Amino acid sequence: MGRYDLRAIRVRQTAKALYDSKRVPDLPPWYNTVGDIPPSEALARPVLRAPPTRGRSRKPSRMFQPLAIHHPEDKLREDFFGDHPWELARPRLIVEDSGNDAKGFNWSSIVQPGKQLDGESVVQRQMWLMKHQSLSKPAAYDQARKEFYRHRHLEAIKQRIAKEEALHVGAYFGKGPLEIGIELEDRTWESWKKWAARQIEDEESMRSQMFSGPQNREAELGNLELDEALEEVQSSVPGSSAGQSALGGAAVHP
Amino acid sequence: MIIRHVAVRSGPRVFARRSLQPLRRFLSSEVDPIDQATNNSIKQTQSLEAQLNALPPQPVPSIDPETPGTSPAAQVTDSVAEQYHQYKKRQQLIGNLGSDISPHYQPHTLLNNPPSPADVTLELLLASEAHQGHATSLWNPANARYIHGIRQGIHIISLEVTAAHLRRAAKVVEEVSRRAGLILFVGTREGQDRAVVRAAELSKQYHLFERWIPGSITNGQQILGRCKTKVINEKDEEIPGFEEQLYDRPVLRPDLVVCMNPLENYVLLHECALNNIPTIGVIDTNADPTWVTYPIPANDDSLRCIQVIAGVLGRAGEAGTKQRLLAAERGEVVYRPAKNLKMPGEDDGLANPSPEAAADVSQRLQNDESLGNADELEAKLEDANNGDGRRQQRINLSA
Repeated sequence: MGRYDLRAIRVRQTAKALYDSKRVPDLPPWYNTVGDIPPSEALARPVLRAPPTRGRSRKPSRMFQPLAIHHPEDKLREDFFGDHPWELARPRLIVEDSGNDAKGFNWSSIVQPGKQLDGESVVQRQMWLMKHQSLSKPAAYDQARKEFYRHRHLEAIKQRIAKEEALHVGAYFGKGPLEIGIELEDRTWESWKKWAARQIEDEESMRSQMFSGPQNREAELGNLELDEALEEVQSSVPGSSAGQSALGGAAVHP
Repeated sequence: MIIRHVAVRSGPRVFARRSLQPLRRFLSSEVDPIDQATNNSIKQTQSLEAQLNALPPQPVPSIDPETPGTSPAAQVTDSVAEQYHQYKKRQQLIGNLGSDISPHYQPHTLLNNPPSPADVTLELLLASEAHQGHATSLWNPANARYIHGIRQGIHIISLEVTAAHLRRAAKVVEEVSRRAGLILFVGTREGQDRAVVRAAELSKQYHLFERWIPGSITNGQQILGRCKTKVINEKDEEIPGFEEQLYDRPVLRPDLVVCMNPLENYVLLHECALNNIPTIGVIDTNADPTWVTYPIPANDDSLRCIQVIAGVLGRAGEAGTKQRLLAAERGEVVYRPAKNLKMPGEDDGLANPSPEAAADVSQRLQNDESLGNADELEAKLEDANNGDGRRQQRINLSA
């Protein structure tokens, strides 16, 4: 509770102490190894940022917190994906091959072999244009964006044609997402209908059970009584000029 | 009114253009008539057939040699050679058709051919996502010195630190393996089993990929008492006949535990600490580095990263085991043999299976171990620890 257990780090010292006090007959086989290759120091908290002089956080403890990492592309990325939010919904390959993948790219063209065309291409192309052709940020953005649209369009055409060709020679692509969705919805609807019918049945049977005894006829007014009561309140129906008097209400609602 | 004008103005032009050049739509969908297309395809087929017929006819060897129609053996070998020749020829013709596949990540290679400690690069660690920690709110501040920064709400582990700690851990595994210590590779998370088993296979050590039974070290006599043990000589060959002597020996304990997921194996690590067993663990930003002796700060949620780490440690263990076996070939035993074992044929006398080896070892240990020096070093280290940090330690070590 709140204490550090440093036994794991002090295995060598412990082994030595046990050996010296003859609790164990000999030293463990790793004794020299751990002595030659000591564990790194634990629980050190280096100062990671300068002490804040002004600003929001003046707490000195913030000095021990890691700093945020910023890259120049971040703003460009934010702009592009702010303008094209649905680009984020596209599936994306994020597996690195060697860790050096980005070094093989030459952004003098927006299409890179071995990299799918996506928002990141636009950002990198914009960076390249800003650096090598010294375009302004909006101009570079426009150029990169338009190249991206064009290649996206070509890609879509290629995919459509490929699909048509495949369908022509007998490919079968299975159900589309809409069909699958409709099917699921239908299934749910049918099961709900069954459930609702069962529910109605249950309720009806319950009600019939409740009223299965002899009906209480005394609570209802007989024909004769009803007529009498109506006659009694006849004079005070709201249609008359006098309006309704409060007296007649009792007979109508016993 | 306007519409009528438009029709009047552009009508003749439209008709004129139409009459002059057919619409592009008709151009694009223009196809051969059916009989012509059939002729074309027949021609193609015939040319292909002609090409095939130009090749010498090949006898097809029968699958079942018992059938009456089998050709004699000589002919079969001839045809096999011929077939091979044909195959080579064809390969030369069409082998380099198609697209070029550039080298890319193949997940199985990390298991089939894991990287050795010398192959550990920052790029490899980056590609295997070793740098991704957890959300900043989940961090354990004891990991502050392994953390490079914050990116999109998660802590980024410094890959230089990871590589340094991984190499150090690999060295420890190699040394322990060279001195015939028992190493246990533990990875109980889903998907870590293959990596762990592979590491154990490479280094000829032990693995655990299911639950650690609590008390296997602290209460080992009850839990592992009935497990089979065997006696091996320095060349790792089993020597039979020791069963009765092994029956009432204490159960084995690992000399080093390598844990891929310390968060789930706190009990194991605690038992190791209680029993003075050094441990190596993959410490993510939300784990406590004091649970293990040698932390490897890395992402423990990425299987690729775990495969890299387990592979590197397995390769290190393999190197150590190889050194030990080579020494055994030369007749050197670099470790202290087990005590209180008698060779099965003899009634009394020998305290251990190879007295010469034991003597040799004790002499080597006297020369090599240099306890006094080690203690001095330790004292210096303690001083360094009281002072400031890592750098001073390193200087003392190298001095």
